Amino acid sequence: MSAIVKHPFLQRLLRVPPAYYVFAILLITLWIARPHMLNANIMGIFIRQVAPLGVLVLAQLLVMRVKSIDLSGGGILLLVNYVISSGIFPGASMPFFIGLSLAIGTAIGLFNGWMIGKRRVSAVIVTLAVSIILVGFVQYLSSGKPPGDVPSYLNDIYNIKWGPAPVPVLFWFALTVVMALFLSKTVFGRYVTSVGENPEAAHFSGVPVERTVILAHTLAGFIAAVAALVQTASIAVGSVRVGLDLPILAVAATILGGVVFGRGEGGVWGPFFGVLSFALLFVVMTTFGIDDPGKLIAQGLIILLAAIFYGIRTSRSN
Amino acid sequence: MACLVEMSNISKSFGGSKAVDGVSLKLMPGTVHALMGENGAGKSTLMKILAGVHQSDSGKIFRDGRKVGFETPREALEAGISTVFQELSLLANLTIAENMFLGREPVTAFGTIDRARMRRETRKALAALGLELNPDVLVSELSIAERQFVEIAHGIKADASVFILDEPTAALNAADVEVMNAQIRRLRDDGKAIVYISHRIDEIFGICDTMTVLKDGKLVATRPLSGMTPDSLIALMVGRELQDLFPARGTTSSETVLELEDFRIDPDSKPLSLHVNKGEIVALAGLEGQGQQQLLRSLAGLYRASTGSAFIKGKALPLPAQKPSGIRQLQARKVGFVPEDRKEEGLFLGLSIAHNIAVGLSSVHGELSIAHDYREAIAETMTSMNIRASGPSAPVGTLSGGNQQKVLLGRYLASGLDLLLIEEPTRGVDIGAKAEIYNLLRSFADAGGAILVLSRETVELIGLCDRIYVVHGKAIVAELPAETATEHQILNAALSA
Repeated sequence: MSAIVKHPFLQRLLRVPPAYYVFAILLITLWIARPHMLNANIMGIFIRQVAPLGVLVLAQLLVMRVKSIDLSGGGILLLVNYVISSGIFPGASMPFFIGLSLAIGTAIGLFNGWMIGKRRVSAVIVTLAVSIILVGFVQYLSSGKPPGDVPSYLNDIYNIKWGPAPVPVLFWFALTVVMALFLSKTVFGRYVTSVGENPEAAHFSGVPVERTVILAHTLAGFIAAVAALVQTASIAVGSVRVGLDLPILAVAATILGGVVFGRGEGGVWGPFFGVLSFALLFVVMTTFGIDDPGKLIAQGLIILLAAIFYGIRTSRSN
Repeated sequence: MACLVEMSNISKSFGGSKAVDGVSLKLMPGTVHALMGENGAGKSTLMKILAGVHQSDSGKIFRDGRKVGFETPREALEAGISTVFQELSLLANLTIAENMFLGREPVTAFGTIDRARMRRETRKALAALGLELNPDVLVSELSIAERQFVEIAHGIKADASVFILDEPTAALNAADVEVMNAQIRRLRDDGKAIVYISHRIDEIFGICDTMTVLKDGKLVATRPLSGMTPDSLIALMVGRELQDLFPARGTTSSETVLELEDFRIDPDSKPLSLHVNKGEIVALAGLEGQGQQQLLRSLAGLYRASTGSAFIKGKALPLPAQKPSGIRQLQARKVGFVPEDRKEEGLFLGLSIAHNIAVGLSSVHGELSIAHDYREAIAETMTSMNIRASGPSAPVGTLSGGNQQKVLLGRYLASGLDLLLIEEPTRGVDIGAKAEIYNLLRSFADAGGAILVLSRETVELIGLCDRIYVVHGKAIVAELPAETATEHQILNAALSA
């Protein structure tokens, strides 16, 4: 086993984020079994469904690269959805809603970052607690009943297409490009890489470690609010249950994309393909007539495989 | 008289370097045996072999004439060899009694832990040392001295006949040292053998009967202490030949780069002042752990107890510096801090050489500014420092120790700084890389830089530096020109303080 694992060619293959393999395998499966599904319009609709997840993954990969995690996305999604759909701001304009949502997300992200970076509280506990509080808060405000409708213009934007490509997918793609550039071309990106590799050495090299962690979480909160807007536009109604599984799916897609705590080898595109893999998985499962429970099991298995894959690599490099 | 323990021809290597090389040692009942030597002479390693912490590569250990080999500290303790290490091994959140019986708790007829018996026997062992401590007190509430006594009591309870005390008085004040020495004499009078490692010459002469001197892992001599003087002891410890590793000294200017005034390493330590001029390499020498590192680290906000004033090029540096911002505060004043532990604190082992060097150049800029790739600066650094690697994208973790150390230094040398604070510039690198690093540091100084450096290797400081401050007991006890300084002088200055 170890002799095989040490082979240089295999080593190189192991450095490729698992998301690319999963994506390729699913694509080939679909191409063989249901070639008619590989149609730009059909694929566009399926991929559009994962656009909110794709945006949220950008937040997750950012914090995971500084060895943190953010599970508060579910709470942010729900709160933003409530603010927009409950009618507590009757007749408010679109810029107002967008601005308010982004402000909410940023504030929550800043709080997470401050608790984790400054007060050194466990990231899992802080963000999970924040999410639980937000969910409870929304359920209290809405007394458990789903709030009203989302202003129609949001759903209208969501349904625009540019050629065969739905606008939410293009938006997600553009945001991913921005994130890739941001992490590769700015000093902040260099800080993120340094903190992820070794926070102690980062500190001794003059990297403001606390500030980097706080900033990463604040940005993650902001991006989560963007994801919440996309999600709200997609479902067009208010809900008290929407998107609660998104944070954990975001973690899964990020890991599948090769970003494991502190190790950013998958960059931004690995997790991007991780999300696409999930989209394809739904397509494949649906065309094979497998229901939601089966999808869940398949999702879990893929995540497990990704973790084993990393186990092999880590034991080799040690 | 039969000896309690005989160590015969013991050798032990770590990586490539021989820490202990063919050393033999006999411990007789009713004696206090001093183990002497400079930093890194192999004293602690030799004792850790006897205590079962390390296993020797070759050589034999005899206990009461029987050949033994200890795989774990517990096996050694069961054979009657008790150790009090510099780094204490008690668990702070357990009580004294729980610590004493850790892993060997007595059980009652019902299979539960017999706490009454634990208390009783703990009290008895403590009483043997004349101590009245409550066995139910948490170790975290004890003073350092009390913790050491608890460790000794641990040995007494285990009926040990050999006690290894590794710098038992290093953290004690004068009154506690007296109590400790009284305990040691009590053990000696009971016919135990005690190995006593200490850097305090006066204590050695006050309490020990025999002494063994190690040097560079080799045995120098074992003699009765009665025929020795402090001077002849120090002469045995030093006297290594200076190797021809060091570059010629440069000319220094009178322009002060770093100045410390009325500086106290700890609030209750003696005030000290020092200065480093442009073009100068200045050393903080002395025995290990005398405050050199705290002094250097306090300037970077990594040690917070220090008080006093520090000036960099005449401008005050606020003290104590804050931990999160200390390094950046120095960086803004063109001062670099090169940490000792290059694997943990210095380098990003999984990242490229380019990243490791560029991070120092980038971190003076704001988060949103463009991160340049500094390709030329990195290539130039790699050439001028003779860093041997496949290219700037090679992960630092794949390089040899010497090349890693050069990458670390390269980060600071490439950043155009005025002053470097360096801990252990050549830790764990081979002799060739050492010479290269000395040359690099000297050219940095010749180009107008200034360096304040500390090292466990006194020879290195004498060869490399222009001026030497001898630090002992968290105070500067002597200032010597390096050109004429000798190891003997430095050791003498430290020990006679």
